[in-house]
Order: sequence, then C-alpha cells, then structure tokens
Amino acid sequence: MAVIEQALSLEQVKEELFMAAQFAEAAGLVLDARGLSEENVKFRVTFVSRTGEPFFAEFDCADYPVLPPFIEFTDETGASRGLHRYYPNVFHGTPCVCMRYSRKAYGERGGPHSDWRMFDWRLATSGGGPIRNLAEIISDMHAKILDATGRLG
Amino acid sequence: MAEEKSHDKGNGGGGGQGGPPQVSLRVQTPRGLWSETEPTAADRRPVYPISEKASRVIEDARAVFKFTEADNEYALLLGKERLQPERTLASYHLAAGTLLILSVKGGNA
Repeated sequence: MAVIEQALSLEQVKEELFMAAQFAEAAGLVLDARGLSEENVKFRVTFVSRTGEPFFAEFDCADYPVLPPFIEFTDETGASRGLHRYYPNVFHGTPCVCMRYSRKAYGERGGPHSDWRMFDWRLATSGGGPIRNLAEIISDMHAKILDATGRLG
Repeated sequence: MAEEKSHDKGNGGGGGQGGPPQVSLRVQTPRGLWSETEPTAADRRPVYPISEKASRVIEDARAVFKFTEADNEYALLLGKERLQPERTLASYHLAAGTLLILSVKGGNA
C-alpha cells in the first residue's frame, strides 16, 4: 500500500534528479532515468570502482521522499538482482547498502536494522553526518564504491 | 610534456601583475557547480594561487554550498583520484578550468 501518491514521488524524484544527474555526469557515472514514470519511479546508476569494475544499482523511489529509496544492485541488464556478486565489497553482507537512506537496511525489509525508524531516514548513520537527498546518496555510494577491491560474493 | 603544458595553462589565469600564479577551477558538488560564474550568489570563487592546499578548496566549497554536517567526510576528486588535502594545487598540475568533484561521504552501519 502506497504511503504517498506516486505522482508526488515522481515529482520529487524529477526535481532531485536534475542535481543528481549533474553530479553523476561530472563524476563519470551513468545515470539512466529513461524509464521513469508514475508507475515506475525508478532509475539506475552505474558506479565504477577505482580498479575499473562496474556496479549496477537500481533506485526504487516509490513513496520517496517519505521513505528512502530501495537500493538494489543488479546485473548489467537489471533482470537479475540482489545477489552478493552484484555488490561491491564495501557494503553489508546482507547484502544491502547499510545506511539510513537505504530502505533495504531496515529490519522490516529484511535488513539488519530493526533499531531504525524508516521515517527518520535523513538522520545521520553512525560514523557520519546526515545524507538527505538523491545527489548526496549517489555521492556517498560513489565515494565508497571507489574503494571497492572486489565483490561480496 | 603534457604535464608541463597543463601546468602552464594553470598559471595562465594568474597574477599577471607579478602576483603568484593562479588557477581557476570548477568544483561539482551534490548541491551544485561552483565556478567563476556559478552559483551567482557565491561569496567567493574557485580561483587560487597554485601554492594553495587542496584543503582550502574543500573548505571554501563547503562554505559556498553550506555543507555544515561536520561528521561527513569531504574529499576532492580528480576523476577517481582523491586529492590529498595537505598537498598544493601545483603538485597536481591542474589546468585552468579543471573539473573537480567534492565528494560527500556519510557513515557506515
């Protein structure tokens, strides 16, 4: 059941993607939002580690920004998802991006954090400050994935 | 040779009146681009003596875009290379107009 109307999520994502796309392009990332629609509030980002290994992430922004995006790593096509081998080895072994901005990190979605409330996703994750929007999420993931030396599995 | 050229370009904007050589940079942050013209309301511009340290660019970029979250980690990236804060801009042979990234990194749970 949707928390907010998809049209509102789509509007917010489009607004934030302007800055996120600018950042991604400057950082050498590929951001693909061609499939974005009210029925499919998703986009994809290809990250690359410092060793040149590509990682493909899908951002499902249904109910965004009330809830954080559901971030999942996939194969290159996006047809297969969530396997350890799609994740860079800088993230949690669940596997998930273990940050408050990642819906998959929450206990109610199978993640390790039953101690977090999803509505508080803009709060700081331990060891850092708050990450509040899509461009900052992409920046955070980019900074971490650069240091990846391989895959989780 | 390429480095030499790049360095010369970096000096090109600089102290034409005998002042220290300067370099004009562009810095893309998650909150916008900082350049000689953007954002229009910026109270400072990314034009530096080449003897300036990278840490100063980070501080100024944070100030322009109000990155006040002290616990996040801020770094300047040139492509995939992380600029060492204590090193000078000259040591990276940055050409005029070089695009740097202000990377913002949060914690890890």
